Amino acid sequence: MAEEKATERKETLSVSALEAEDVMAGAEEWVGTETWLVVGSLIAAVIALVIGLLVVPTSVLH
Amino acid sequence: MAQYPERRWYTGMLSTEDWWAVWIALFFFFLGLLNVFGVDLVGWMTYPTKWVFSPAEGGKGAISHAFYALGKKYSAHAKDFYKGLGWWSVIWSYVIFGIALTIGAAFMKWDVKRYAIGFTIIYFLTIACWFIGHHAFIAATKVNRHKYGLDFSLNMGGGASFIIALIVGLIIGNFFKGAANYLSVAAKPEWYIKTAIVTLGAKLGYLPIKLAGMSQKLGKEAAGLTFDLFVAGAAATIVAYLVFWPGVYTISRKIFKLPRQTAATLASGISICGVSAAVATGAAVRARPVVAIMVSALVVIWAVIELIILPGFFTYVWPGTKDPLVAGASMGMAVKTDGADAAAGELLDEFMRTKIEIETNGAVKWPEGIITASAVMTKVWIDMFIGIWAFLLAVVWVYKFERRPGEKVPASEIWHRFPKFVLGYFFCWFFLLALFFGPGQSGAPEAKAFLKNVKSGMVPVEKGMRKLFFMLTFMSLGIITDFKKLREAQFGKMVWVYFVSLFCFVIPVAILIGYLFHHGMTPPNIAEYVK
Repeated sequence: MAEEKATERKETLSVSALEAEDVMAGAEEWVGTETWLVVGSLIAAVIALVIGLLVVPTSVLH
Repeated sequence: MAQYPERRWYTGMLSTEDWWAVWIALFFFFLGLLNVFGVDLVGWMTYPTKWVFSPAEGGKGAISHAFYALGKKYSAHAKDFYKGLGWWSVIWSYVIFGIALTIGAAFMKWDVKRYAIGFTIIYFLTIACWFIGHHAFIAATKVNRHKYGLDFSLNMGGGASFIIALIVGLIIGNFFKGAANYLSVAAKPEWYIKTAIVTLGAKLGYLPIKLAGMSQKLGKEAAGLTFDLFVAGAAATIVAYLVFWPGVYTISRKIFKLPRQTAATLASGISICGVSAAVATGAAVRARPVVAIMVSALVVIWAVIELIILPGFFTYVWPGTKDPLVAGASMGMAVKTDGADAAAGELLDEFMRTKIEIETNGAVKWPEGIITASAVMTKVWIDMFIGIWAFLLAVVWVYKFERRPGEKVPASEIWHRFPKFVLGYFFCWFFLLALFFGPGQSGAPEAKAFLKNVKSGMVPVEKGMRKLFFMLTFMSLGIITDFKKLREAQFGKMVWVYFVSLFCFVIPVAILIGYLFHHGMTPPNIAEYVK
């Protein structure tokens, strides 16, 4: 019984390890949409930062 | 459309932790407000005080008074009754909160019997930690240790109790796994902390009322400061989030070569609100469920590590007591679970207040809760992004990466992924502010009786209930944290992505942005108004 349980555990562990390995592997090529997502987000951050620093009364600009 | 099930706007109101945090906190909030009508039904809430085994003659700290009902000190209508409760307040709190939480558990279709037993064990362990953490040797500071007949103490204030609860929880979670597994039904850090965060909204709204009791000017100053935190927190969070996500996504993709869906889920987990964001993003980009589970496990584990490191770092290394609200705001942006963030904020609050008191020999005292509020404020704003960002990513994935013809992402997804406890937090805050500026006449002497009644009902909620739920959070967080997970091989790569992203990118950026928007903000000094 104990042996059976140990085998079960081992199998479960190895299955999840395989699954985890799976989701880490197989990276796709970086594509233009990702560049657009990342750069767009950073541009939005800069705009938000400038507006925030000018508008928020507790910012270092005040 | 299978990914987006048919849901009404009210779906989940009686079956999710988020909503039950709101219902439970609001129930006690309104119960407290009955004081305005001359009825005190919340004064039984228990609270610890510092104690020693042998109090000095005429000194403070008898064990028999180590726990008391807050109504003893603050009740406007039933002081005599609550005075008699003493340690019994621990039992009153257990029974009343136990019933309320078990009702919530039943509605959420948990195993009610196991929840009730688990809660009982967690509650009394928590009380034991709270008690031990308030021994004057641990909690008393240089300024007040003489009252307990001590020449030396550890100066840790109330913060020690949180650490003890966390350690006890971690011991159970890592060395008594059978017990931890059994208790896991009742070890619900996210639920407890969300409830505590709603009552923190009450704390924010109550601050001007409390300080107006000292002076009308102080009351107005506190109202102004909390509003400044609200605005600065919003601006800082928007900027931080828009920097965090692309940064972590790029690190995951370019340096660690992770696939798109895994990188997106991980980026949301590290950037936004940990577990919920990882789950929401995982669903939005249709990552395999194991990704969200792995990220969630890492979020919890790393948040506990941050909780151990950051409050001490911010207090004793940088920025110290010079910029306490920069530290608080940065904490909110850097710690990725509501539980660990609010708990770390609470710890930071205790550390900072204790430190400033020691540094100035008692000449400067900060009111409790403002530094915690600064940490929670940025976190709450970040939480609000979960729905919006998950929606945006779902749109990008559906229309750009996966191009599923004919599929549409319903706008209602934003509402369904919105953290509902945030509504409770703002409701309590604005409701009390409305009372302060309305019938409370901004703290004018004519409205003092009214404000005193509000105070009498709010102190047990914002102080007793909030602290108790923070303590339950620490204990539960420890119980469900399994450090072994970090060592498991399949987490190896993700652990490293998380470590590099968090310590080399997210935390430094959080500190920088926190500084840009909060530099120079300080809690008001209340030393001349308190003993």
